[in-house]
Amino acid sequence: MKLCYINTLKGLYDISGVEVGQHFYWKIGGFQVHAQVIITSWVVIAILLGSAIIAIRNPQTIPTDSQNFFEYVLEFIRDVSKTQIGEEYGPWVPFIGTLFLFIFVSNWSGALLPWKIIQLPHGELAAPTNDINTTVALALLTSVAYFYAGLSKKGLGYFGKYIQPTPILLPINILEDFTKPLSLSFRLFGNILADELVVLVLVSLVPSVVPIPVMLLGLFTSGIQALIFATLAAAYIGESMDGSSLTSFRNSLFLV
Amino acid sequence: MANMIMASTRTLAPAAPSLSTTPKPKLSMSQITLPKLPTPKITKHQLLKLSTSTLKSLSLVAATSLTLAPPSLSVEMEKAALFDFNLTLPIIVAEFLFLMVALDKIYYTPVGKFMDERDAAIRAKLSDVKDTSGEVKQLEEQAAAVMKAARAEIAAALSKMKKETQEEVEQKLAEGRKKVEAELQEALASLELQKEETLKALDSQIAALSQEIVKKVLPTV
Repeated sequence: MKLCYINTLKGLYDISGVEVGQHFYWKIGGFQVHAQVIITSWVVIAILLGSAIIAIRNPQTIPTDSQNFFEYVLEFIRDVSKTQIGEEYGPWVPFIGTLFLFIFVSNWSGALLPWKIIQLPHGELAAPTNDINTTVALALLTSVAYFYAGLSKKGLGYFGKYIQPTPILLPINILEDFTKPLSLSFRLFGNILADELVVLVLVSLVPSVVPIPVMLLGLFTSGIQALIFATLAAAYIGESMDGSSLTSFRNSLFLV
Repeated sequence: MANMIMASTRTLAPAAPSLSTTPKPKLSMSQITLPKLPTPKITKHQLLKLSTSTLKSLSLVAATSLTLAPPSLSVEMEKAALFDFNLTLPIIVAEFLFLMVALDKIYYTPVGKFMDERDAAIRAKLSDVKDTSGEVKQLEEQAAAVMKAARAEIAAALSKMKKETQEEVEQKLAEGRKKVEAELQEALASLELQKEETLKALDSQIAALSQEIVKKVLPTV
């Protein structure tokens, strides 16, 4: 009797409360790992590498459809890098491009791939970007990248930017190095998690038709989030390389 | 309701043992726990107002959990962790770096190089086309020169022919004139001759006639 009630409670919880913060744990050398994130990120990486290999295994001078698509994507990435970083954007194209493609495919995989078919013992498969570990990892990489860019371009003179307009702004300038990865990671994490939650709740309430516009909106915002992450990373790198302030531009993107 | 129970038994069964094997610190700085089990604190006040059958069962569970408190369930409910940082983070970093290198090898560098080369080839071809326009101009000039030469040749031939025909005509004209002159001369000479003959004849006739006239006028001489 009691077990039945507990099960009822659990069932209610399963239906009303979507699984937030439930993880499927693996143990690697005494450390715990969110297995669902690792699995989905493998799938995303496999999709990216596989499609790239298939599309570009035999490049044609007059491109075929898939090659044309990949060339368009590369030109798009180059354009983003060039507008944010400037003429020396070349070496940063792989970083910016991989950021954009990984986040974009991750976000869309959460909405489009039928992850729910695969039942995990605990937790559930979803977009890798709705785990804080992923977004913080990407944001920290961005921080490392812009520090590296600044230091390799200007040497130790890079740290002169901390007292750039006036030394009074030193605390704010130091704070910025912490807010940049924080805002990057939380923006992506919050958007994707919230989007998946809204869709899940709507699906549990109204199974048909009604969630579709929200899903489409989710696809749109996921794309925008990937673009914002890549653009901001490029902007930070460009900023630390040429030193001119991009504050107004960044503020405009902060609102999204 | 029956469905819920069925579903819940399915999900709960594998979850319970895995939890007992891996007990974790429930509260730490990096973990934000979401309260999921309706704890006994809230139930006593709230449940008085709620009247649906499901909530009654909830209250029953809460009441029983007060006394018996199933340990496995409570552990599972409190474990919900949104900000749960662990080894996933460095693994994702490594995966991302691997993806970056791999995509650079198979996508960015080769395709970028291919596109740049094609761009350069198209540019070269375009400038080639501009060069051939110069060639076309040269060819046109050549054609114009050829035309000019041909025209000059034709003009020369024409003038030469004209000259020749004119000479011929003049020659024939001169010949004709000479012939006519000669004939005229001949005719004039024969006319003179005839005149002299006639005059001679007239002279002899004049003597005879004058004798006759004298005879007639002077019969008696």
